[in-house]
Amino acid sequence: MTTKQMKGFEDSYVVEGKMALPYTYFAGSVGSKFITTIRDEKKIMGVKCPTCNVVYLPPRQVCDKDFTDIRDNWVDVGTSGMVTNFTVVRYDDKHLPRKAPFVLALIKLDGADTPFMHILEECKLEDVKIGMKVEAVFAKETTNTILDIDHFKPVAERASIHERNAGRKKWVADAEPAIQGKQKGGKPDMSKPVIIAAALTGAATMRNQNPSVPYTPAEFATEAYKCWKAGAAMVHVHAREDNGMPTHDHERIRATYNAIKDKCPELIVNLSSAVGMGKTTEQRISQIIAVKPDMASLNTNTMNFSIVDRKTGKIFIEYVFENTFTMLQEFGKAMEENGVKPEIECYDMGGLDNTLLIAKQGFFSSPMNFNFVWGVAGGQSFRADSFIAMMNALPANANFTTCGVGPEEFPCIMQSCLLGGHMRVGLEDNIKMPNGELAKGSYELVEVAVNIADSLGRAVATTDEAREIMGVRKK
Amino acid sequence: MAKRVAIVGTGQTFHKSHRPDVNGQELINEAVVKALADANLKMKDIDAIVIGNMDHFEGINYVDCWSVDGSGGTMKPIIKLTTGGTTGCTVAIGGYHLVGSGMFDKVLVIGWEKNSESDTTGAITTAFDPVWDRQVFAGAISGLAAEAQAYIARYGATDRDGARVSVRDRKHAMNNPYAQLRKEVTLEEVLASPMLADPIHLLDVCPRSDGACAVIMASEDTAEKICPKPDWIWATAARHTYSYLGDADFGRLTSMKEGSQELWKKAGIKEPRKEVDVIELYQPYSFGGLIWIEDMGIVGPGEAPRYIWDGNTDMGGELPINPSGGVIATNPIGATGLIRCAEAAMQVMGKAEGRQVPDVNFAFSSGFGGCFWTDMILHGKKKPK
Repeated sequence: MTTKQMKGFEDSYVVEGKMALPYTYFAGSVGSKFITTIRDEKKIMGVKCPTCNVVYLPPRQVCDKDFTDIRDNWVDVGTSGMVTNFTVVRYDDKHLPRKAPFVLALIKLDGADTPFMHILEECKLEDVKIGMKVEAVFAKETTNTILDIDHFKPVAERASIHERNAGRKKWVADAEPAIQGKQKGGKPDMSKPVIIAAALTGAATMRNQNPSVPYTPAEFATEAYKCWKAGAAMVHVHAREDNGMPTHDHERIRATYNAIKDKCPELIVNLSSAVGMGKTTEQRISQIIAVKPDMASLNTNTMNFSIVDRKTGKIFIEYVFENTFTMLQEFGKAMEENGVKPEIECYDMGGLDNTLLIAKQGFFSSPMNFNFVWGVAGGQSFRADSFIAMMNALPANANFTTCGVGPEEFPCIMQSCLLGGHMRVGLEDNIKMPNGELAKGSYELVEVAVNIADSLGRAVATTDEAREIMGVRKK
Repeated sequence: MAKRVAIVGTGQTFHKSHRPDVNGQELINEAVVKALADANLKMKDIDAIVIGNMDHFEGINYVDCWSVDGSGGTMKPIIKLTTGGTTGCTVAIGGYHLVGSGMFDKVLVIGWEKNSESDTTGAITTAFDPVWDRQVFAGAISGLAAEAQAYIARYGATDRDGARVSVRDRKHAMNNPYAQLRKEVTLEEVLASPMLADPIHLLDVCPRSDGACAVIMASEDTAEKICPKPDWIWATAARHTYSYLGDADFGRLTSMKEGSQELWKKAGIKEPRKEVDVIELYQPYSFGGLIWIEDMGIVGPGEAPRYIWDGNTDMGGELPINPSGGVIATNPIGATGLIRCAEAAMQVMGKAEGRQVPDVNFAFSSGFGGCFWTDMILHGKKKPK
């Protein structure tokens, strides 16, 4: 001990003292099990109260809410969780667990109900947010304490599709074009990147069904850009008036097309040659010739195209969608002559056969690109064997994609992807996510398609690759 | 046998950052002598003593024993109570229980701290579980910062709202000669002061102080003889909620909510905002002045910033809070809760001088501690029924 005088209090001595007392703290059998499970199994365990069903972390012997003995009711709470609260500590003190600045966070592990205080590292201070996903990083060497979890770190977010594509070899066409796009000995060609298309609107989906349906050119541009960011190489567009009505007005269609191209120059834009109900033949094709998009839909047979209550079978709107052989021929020729690649829409096998018949005239450029459409009231419903039959009926070199109305969207695109074909999603066809919630936009449906491609190990096509695969003109 | 209880005298030291001119018992003695003088009593009139301070702050245990020269506890019943930050309020509740039980007529209650002698964060860290919490515990400020951060996230408050509370308390401290920090600050100065832990700036938090406070309580048998207008204790409540750091509902002070509901119920108060006239809140940082008055039911969740900005809690407002300048101006921790109690008593007794709120019928004082626990007292001018 020493004494000293304090400035300003020269007549008052202070005596310096210090205590360093050793203690031995017992973790107890509950605490010890927690620590040894982390040490030996890299698992984090909590205890669940059978009375109130709360899973506690740290584990404890007694539930403080109802005084139930919970010591033996262990549950694995996982090693990842969410930041429920945090602060950035910006002052230093010798008693603090890290040097400032550092993040002190409350982390609720996925299987626990009570958060758990710990240190968050391996991230920028400004990136920490309530709700961010984090995972435990275990200490390299055990100390048999809570610090066997050294810290938590953010769960790495999956790289964007563009970052992932930048990191792989570009796909190039096979040296033997004869087997391009065809199954090799019955095996699907999974080596080809899958093209994801987003149908942003259609003619019938309105904002009262899903508020993300774009109407104005600017909205189309924004939605298209989000889809491209999510992994789409193409968007399919039915231009709308400000009030949402489908339009054949050349200026509006051009403005919509250009807005998308301005925002996202490399994206393939595919315009509808159906436009909407009640449009004349002239209204349907003249806009394609005027705007000359990258691609356009080409419909293959005259059919019922109705709105029917799916549960009761009651007809709401009766409509015949006219696509005569002459129209198929004239539209097809007009597209090819104007450098617009047709996307051939087949609502059943008959439409495909119609196309093969007309194709004998020889005006379709190779490769031909087919879209199998499922679930239109008037066309066929999705069936796995029908899909395979249509695929097997395709000419050599042809590409196929698919789309399905409502809940048929997901099974049909998944089948297409696993058979080497391509995928179309979007609010035109379906407004909901697989879990039944409204999609926040077509881009969310594109994300579902990307996940399917990931699950099957297929690369997602870049716009360049998509142009090469489908024979669409360069941008 | 149960008795009504009143506060009949209070005393406190002039609080400073350092008092090297006195040791612990001498500091305690200053407050005791003032309280006896205020009540016009002698030490021989006192039947029992309750005393408390923070564990480990001075690194010397058993203040009930070694301070008897200063406290007057020689050969008297004296017990020590310590509950962390709530200690000052807990000793008052302990005194209330002793007098209310009818077993002691006049009880001296003492809270004190020589914070300058301690390594504050080191001492506070000893309050936390050594196996689970201590190794990741990042000091009292960080825990409060996490509370403020959660409140901001839930209700969209800003650091300006917090700063407004700090500006208020520091302005009020100008009226209190006992306050340690007596310097007005502007909103801009608070926001420009160093960030300690997001969103808490240096000027959002309390200082460390040396100081002591003493309060004398008497039963209904003698209270009005000692003091013609005593401060009647209407109700007390205490809630300790926490097991581990993560268990608290960050952003809401559950202990305050449950405790104050008990308090209002005991006193028959329906609308605390209208019926309570002044609050001395143990509010060691500015955001507590927002969050906790919502938990008290003064205003609804998320409504405190508007209420504060409209001047309702300033002197002259609808419900002045911390006329003394509160904890942000003075914080000798073991005494802090009892200073709130003494200041509330002075408001009821009409002895608060330059910081007096007119016509106080009900006053509220509280203690806050460690990991979100709260003790509280309701004071009243009228004798409880």
